[in-house]
This record gives sequence, C-alpha cells and structure tokens, in this order.
Amino acid sequence: MRLFLKECIVFFVFLCVVAQGHAAGAPPQRIISLGPTVTKSLYLLGAEDRLIANTVYCSSPPGAREKEKIGTATRMNVEKIFNLKPDLVLATSLTNPGAKEKLKNLGINVVTFPAPVDFSRMCEQFLELGKLIGKEKEAEKIVKEARDKAISLREKTEGLSKPKVLVQIGAHPLFVATERYFVNDYIEFAGGVNIAKGAKEGIYSREQVLVADPAVIIIATMGIAAEEEKEIWRKYAKLSAVKNDRIYIVETDKLTSPTPVSFVKTLEEMVSILHSGEMR
Amino acid sequence: MTNKIVRWGFWISILCSLLLGVILFALCSGSVRIPVKRIMEVMLGAGSATEYSILFDIRLPRIILAFAIGGALSVSGVILQGVFRNPLVEPYTLGISGGAALGVCLAIVLRLGCIIGVFSLPFFGFLGAGLIIVLVYSLSMKKNTLKVQGLLLTGVMISFVTSSLIMLIMAVSRAEDLHGIVFWIMGSLEEPSWFLIKLAVVVSIFGLFISYLFCVSLNAFSLGEEEALHLGVNVERTKRLLFILASLLTGCSVAITGIIGFVGLVIPHFTRMFAGEDHRILLISSFLCGAGFLIFCDTLARTIISPMELPVGVITGILGGTLFVYTLNKRKSIPGGKWLSK
Repeated sequence: MRLFLKECIVFFVFLCVVAQGHAAGAPPQRIISLGPTVTKSLYLLGAEDRLIANTVYCSSPPGAREKEKIGTATRMNVEKIFNLKPDLVLATSLTNPGAKEKLKNLGINVVTFPAPVDFSRMCEQFLELGKLIGKEKEAEKIVKEARDKAISLREKTEGLSKPKVLVQIGAHPLFVATERYFVNDYIEFAGGVNIAKGAKEGIYSREQVLVADPAVIIIATMGIAAEEEKEIWRKYAKLSAVKNDRIYIVETDKLTSPTPVSFVKTLEEMVSILHSGEMR
Repeated sequence: MTNKIVRWGFWISILCSLLLGVILFALCSGSVRIPVKRIMEVMLGAGSATEYSILFDIRLPRIILAFAIGGALSVSGVILQGVFRNPLVEPYTLGISGGAALGVCLAIVLRLGCIIGVFSLPFFGFLGAGLIIVLVYSLSMKKNTLKVQGLLLTGVMISFVTSSLIMLIMAVSRAEDLHGIVFWIMGSLEEPSWFLIKLAVVVSIFGLFISYLFCVSLNAFSLGEEEALHLGVNVERTKRLLFILASLLTGCSVAITGIIGFVGLVIPHFTRMFAGEDHRILLISSFLCGAGFLIFCDTLARTIISPMELPVGVITGILGGTLFVYTLNKRKSIPGGKWLSK
C-alpha cells in the first residue's frame, strides 16, 4: 500500500512537471533533428509534435516530409536553426562540425548521436535519446521488444546452416560490411558468416571474394548501381552465390539507416534470404 | 602624375563603396529577412535579441572572415603572378593548399584533434602548409638563387603528390573521418572561433601592408628579373621574401577556411583589367575586390537554395570563371599578355 502511495506521489509530481512545461529540467519542447535516423527515432518515441524542423533527407515516416526544413544532413542553415529557437538540436556524425560548434556558442543545446557500430550500441543510443526527451519508458519498451525479437530470430537460426555471406554497400571501389559496421550484426544474427568480418577496411578486392566464395551476396541498391553490380558478379560462374542464383538486392535505406525497430524488420528479411529453403 | 592619382583615388573609392554595398547586402540577406533600415535599429539596440544574434553572432563573423580570406588570397595571387610573371599561377598552384589539406587529413584520421580542441584543424593545416613551403623552397634553391620556374614545377608536382596522398588517406579512412575530410576540403566560412577570425583579419591586413612595401619592386619584376636587377632591385632577397609572404597568406587562409578556389586566380586578373598593371594600385584594389567578391559569393552560397547551403567554392568557381571569360572576350588585349608573348 505504501509503495502504491509512493508511486502515486511520484506520478503526481511528474504530472505537475509536465503541466508546467518549461520548468527547469522539463523535457525539451522544440527539437530539431539533423538526420533521417534521428527523425525516425523521434517518431517511434511519439515525440513528433515536439519536432519542429528536420533535414530535406528526412522523408520517412510521411509526416516528417511536412516539417520545416533547415538544410541537408551535412550542410545546414545555422541562422534558420537559431531563428526557430530550438531547445534541443540532435546532430549526427555527418553534421558540419563548424556549424555544430557555432550553435553551441549561441547557447543552443546540441547533442550528437554518431553512427552506431553495432546493434547493442544502436539500442543504447535509442535509450539515451528517449531519456533526453523525457520518453524513457517508451524507449525502454521499444528497445526491449526489438531485443527480444532479435534474440528469438537468432535462436531460430541457430540450428540451421551457416552460409558464407558478403554484404556489399558500395561499388567502385567495392565496399563491404566489416565487423566495425552494424551491418555485420544482420549477418551474424541471421545465422550467416560474414566473409569480410576480419577485414580492416571496408574496401575489399574481388579476388578475396573469389577465394572466400560466399554462398550468398547481398547488394545494397545504391541508386541504380546494384543491377550492374549483380551482372558483374554473374560473370564469375564458379562462385557458389552465382551457381545457386543467390545474389539479392536490398534497399540501402533499410540496411544503413536503422532504428532498433527497423533493424529487426530488416533482420527478418535477412533471415528469410539466408535460409529461404530451410525455414518452412 | 596627378591624373594617375585622381584615377586611382576614383577606383579605390568605387571599390570601397562597392564593398560597403556588398557588406550591407550580406547583412540583410538570409533565411530571416532583415531590411537595411531595421539593421540600423538593431544596431541602436531597438531590435529583438534574436535579430541581434543573427546579425552580429551569425552573419557578421562570416562577413569579416570572407573579407579577410578574400583579401588575403587575392593579394597572394597578385604577388605570385608578379614574381613568376606567369598569368596561370595562383596561391594553390604551389602545393600550399595540398600541404594544408594533407595536414588536416592526417589530423582527422590520426585523431590528433583531441589535443588542442577547436584549433587543431587550423593548426595542423598551417603546419602542413608550412612544411610544403619549406620543402618546395629548399628544393628550388640552387647556389643561393631561387629558380622561379623550378619552383613552379616543383610546386605543381608536390601538389599532385599531396592530392594523391589525400586520396590514399580517404580510401583507407573510416566513414566518419571521411565526412570530416570532405567538409574541410569543400571549404566553408562558417567559423565558430572569434580568435581565428581576428587572426585572419590581422594576417591579411599585415600581408597587404608588407606587400605594399614591395610594390615598386614588383613593378620592376614585370619587366623581367634581369631588368629588375639593373633597376637596382635586390632580386634574390625580394623573391624570397615575397614568396614566403604569399605562402604565409595562403597557408593561413587555407588552414582556417579550407580550400576556396578561384579567388586568388581570377581577382588579380580581373582587377588588372580596370586598375591597370601598376602594383601600387593593383595590390590595394585586388584586396578590396577579392574581399567584396568572396563576401558576395558566400552570401549567394547560403541564400541561393536556402535552407541548404552550397560550398562557397561552387559559387566562386562558376561566377568568377564566367565573369572572367566574359570580360576577357570583351577586351582585345589579354591581361598579363605581355608575359605570354615573351
């Protein structure tokens, strides 16, 4: 009973704080996002009404397109941002460092979310974002669901075969997903073996691919280059992926701009790509 | 003589008023429109705090920096074209920008930024530029004389080497470092530190002042090195000092703003068309012209497809290049043509 009372008081205090709005320590009410992933995360957390502006690249979910635009993810208009009087600016590692510094000098709270290196870091960042905007509970719920789903998918694929996989995220030069990039988690969680896992850099040689002989090749769309790349791989008839016709094209957006929720969705797709014959 | 002074006075007053006009235009334009009348009111303390901040914390620093960098690059261009007697030389030809870019790339990739914070990139940029200057200079010193043609070729080759090295670094660097490098190479006048802005102003005005001490020597140089020697110019010492001065001006500019092309090449030629070849007027008018040109280009870059911001080099290249070719075709004689015919 006492615990219940305590909870009631806490809740009441919380309500008061929310009602007061701009009181000290209140969650930010005017947020500007400088990256598509941050925008998506804000929508997932249900903070879209507090998002006042974003970049021209922020096109999903559809509502994000209608928001005020402050430039691209890399080059933004400092003056416009300042004039919108935000109380929180969410930057990414793409943000122009000079502009970021300038905003800080102008007394604006700027928080940077660098590109995550793996799924667990991605979840941590999502939780941090939730905490920052006062949506901790929602963030925890979303992350827990995503983690559970990822774990269950992992368990599902445990008994299945472990195909060798190459995920190509860039052409000219050939650029692949290494261990340092969260795309590696897609492969491993889906029960595959990333042939480029140990590579130091993303730039990879075709010869190495021929030696490692991946059973599956996944290509990110990268505009129109993917079909071309697929044709190039087809020339190597000895590759297992070519023999068994297992070269797939996945949208770049799905692969490289993730929230925990979209990660799990793409992971599901990955599982079905890697184990298409086995999971019935 | 008096006729000449009147003509010079006329051009300088025209350029000064143009510069003032461009500055006012730059202060007015942006995503928030502030008319000229309003600027006066804000200056007198009547405007809102936001307007005040936009004018004096966001727009003015950029204008001042553009003024300094535009002026410095133009003066450096005038000096180098004068010393080399070659119309194609510009501040970046000698590998100085390449050296600065290499220094910055290494600083980004090796994470040297954490050592001295905000100033690290300009510092390493300047260090890179300085090392290249010393290298080019010492390679071109033969028997205590500075061979200008050798200097030019060495500079061009070194800039090829540095750009290849930069490509190498970019190829093996991590994605997040790559963005930093690309940002820097594209050049931007968005500089948060007032200290660096003031430094740029001091260096550019200092550069103009020192180079002005050599304006008569530069005039003698335009006749040829031997003729200059006969006219009583200490050719070797002047060449060296002017080369070092131009390098310092370029190195400082590149280190602070990144690579902003075309200003140092086009402005000296453009100024020669109306102000004449005499360095006594050419240096000052190039400084004013370059400053105004860069302020104007930067204003266009930040407003033309607002809210997006273009790299300022895009505008300087397109505007400077077309304007120059147009004016060149209108005139019968080629500026600096006497060098070409030699």
